[in-house]
Amino acid sequence: MQLKISDLSFSYNKKEKVLNDFNLEINKGEVAALVGRSGSGKSTILRLTAGLEIPDSGRIEIAGKTVVDEQKFLAPEKRKVGMVFQDYALFPHLNVYQNISFGIDHLSKKKRKERTAELLELVNLAGFEKRYPHQLSGGQQQRIALARTLAPGPKLLLLDEPFSNLDTELRDKIRKELKSIIKEIGITTILVSHDKNDAEFMAEKEILLN
Amino acid sequence: MQLLKKLKKGSPGWYILTLVIIFFLLLPNFNIIINLFAEVSENWEHVREYLLINYFHNTLILILGSGFLSALLGAGLAWLIIAYDFPGRRFLNWALILPLAVPPYIGAYVYAGIFNFTGPVQRLLRNYFSITIEQRYFDLMNLRGAVFIYTIFLFPYVYLMTKAFLAKQSSSLLESSRLLGKSDYSIFLKIILPLSRGAIIAGSSLVIMEVLNDYGVVKYFGISTFTTAIFNSWFGMGDLATSVRLAVTAMLLIVVILFIEKLLRGGRKYSYSTSKLRPLRRRQLSGRSKFLAMFLSYSVFTVAFIIPMFQLIYWSILSRGGNFSEVLNHALTSFFTAAGAAAIIIIGAVIVANTARMSSKLIANILGRITILGYSIPGAVIAVGILLFMLQLDLLFDYLNLYFGIETNLVLSSTLLMLIFAYTVRFLGIAFNSVDSGYDKIGESYFEAARTLGKGVTTTFFKVDLPMLKPALLSGYLLVFIEVMKELPLTLILRPFNFDTLATRAFEYANDEMIYRAADLSLVLIIFSALAIYIITHQRRRRKNAAEN
Repeated sequence: MQLKISDLSFSYNKKEKVLNDFNLEINKGEVAALVGRSGSGKSTILRLTAGLEIPDSGRIEIAGKTVVDEQKFLAPEKRKVGMVFQDYALFPHLNVYQNISFGIDHLSKKKRKERTAELLELVNLAGFEKRYPHQLSGGQQQRIALARTLAPGPKLLLLDEPFSNLDTELRDKIRKELKSIIKEIGITTILVSHDKNDAEFMAEKEILLN
Repeated sequence: MQLLKKLKKGSPGWYILTLVIIFFLLLPNFNIIINLFAEVSENWEHVREYLLINYFHNTLILILGSGFLSALLGAGLAWLIIAYDFPGRRFLNWALILPLAVPPYIGAYVYAGIFNFTGPVQRLLRNYFSITIEQRYFDLMNLRGAVFIYTIFLFPYVYLMTKAFLAKQSSSLLESSRLLGKSDYSIFLKIILPLSRGAIIAGSSLVIMEVLNDYGVVKYFGISTFTTAIFNSWFGMGDLATSVRLAVTAMLLIVVILFIEKLLRGGRKYSYSTSKLRPLRRRQLSGRSKFLAMFLSYSVFTVAFIIPMFQLIYWSILSRGGNFSEVLNHALTSFFTAAGAAAIIIIGAVIVANTARMSSKLIANILGRITILGYSIPGAVIAVGILLFMLQLDLLFDYLNLYFGIETNLVLSSTLLMLIFAYTVRFLGIAFNSVDSGYDKIGESYFEAARTLGKGVTTTFFKVDLPMLKPALLSGYLLVFIEVMKELPLTLILRPFNFDTLATRAFEYANDEMIYRAADLSLVLIIFSALAIYIITHQRRRRKNAAEN
């Protein structure tokens, strides 16, 4: 089991619960999609898994290790969970190379270079090292964000609405690319979408939230 | 788990640093409140019975008058600049902020000089038109005059706030009102004014804070307010107890004002349901309305900046008499004090703002309130609080001396350290607001992305937040720099012996009726501040252009 969520509850304020005793299990190498309307709590599940929010109660285990429960809270930087944000959040003051190597600066310079080149190859953007985020198209930005997220070798990949910022023509192409990249490296993935078609195309497992 | 949730994604180091800063910010206020229960002196009885009502009366007239008039002037000009196009608009857009570079006390002695019996206005009338007008019609040295001075030199606060607010409004708002058959005049009264009420009141309350803080204008004009009374009891009579009492009373007044401000701003917050806003499109003015708009805005700029500058330059030429080294000396003192204090303050503000950003909304709000507290409290009051604290510290050192033979002698009172501490208490809020709005603009996701990429709070801060905050840090730094440059009451009370800034020296010369000698110092001070304003406004413009391309 790569991810196990048990009895997870969460609320942003006292009035309404976003999640109530939510359970989820995802196997290693599986691609799962969380589908639901906005406000159904699907993005919140990703944020809780990444450690960006703290649950009211419940437990999350990643690769057999508890990252949060009643006693414990592991900070996001220690969870080895990768997340591609809806707006990509590429650091505007860093170029593509610096963005991708941001999470692997503990490696030697040579290793960093190799790893970055390898990832750029993977996302079909070799040679883009010196560009800055604002010089990239929406689709390119997303692929760089993906490369940056994969660089440290996360145990779990989280994709928050990966197709929402793209226009319809691009969408189909990007979906195929993304699917093949994920298959190629075989990483356990959870993606969040409000569109059932996206979910069906991408994932082996669909979880509906209401 | 609940506590953790409140603190959210923090790291303990940041909270501890913030707690230390907050402790020092609150300290002078606590000191004053505690002393509320101390014994009262005879002086206080006298003050309370005969003078207090006068202080209240004068203070109220000053804050209500200048608050209201600067709201009118600031909001009107902001609307003119945002909604219409006319020759000179681009220049006036930032030039109308320049009056802020002129400290009101300098404006006060300049205008008093212009309008007095031997001043240029009366001379012109007498010598060229042979008209003799009784001086009392031109007398500026009264409450009315002070309101005039405050209004023309402080209205940019309202102008800036309202302009920033209007720039975020959608043009469909105006277009639909026009289609519904409303004239521009009634759109301004019925749509713009109510909509921007919050911004206008926020701006006016800044004006009111500045008026409450002011010592220079009222002292020069001979008007008794809380600030002058605190000065008199401390400097004149050495009566700390009375100045503490006065400080407490002034704080009560401020609590009431802050409460009224909150009430006026109300719970109503208007916002848009869509995120796609077309910014207001300016309407080209022509014919008579073009000239009216130009006349109005240029005359305000002339009165609030050009005339004082010319008068100062004229005096400065008249005073040619080798006090260059004196000016240089004070300019250097002022520059290094302001630069150093602003650096310390911006670092403190960044620490608190970063903690606020990592905390829950409630804690972030409380932190914001506490930092801005110092700005709402008049400098003279803060000075009393800090004096009390430093005297206690020195007393402590005295004990140490007594029991352990450690040699000390009033180590902390009246040192530069104490002055910078006081500046921090008063101006940290300004820096905090800049940094905080910088964080707002950046948003959360860069921070979160860095965290999920394996970086802790502190590494993220240095590698991601700090480089992205640069523009906000620069504005915050320069705003504090200007404030410290202009600062008078705190510096006068707390400065070390023989320590003179441009502000204190210019004020003393003017107060001793040596206006010519004050002119050079004032000019240098205004030029420093004006340059800082120029950098702030033009860095914003440069970034805006970069974003558009």
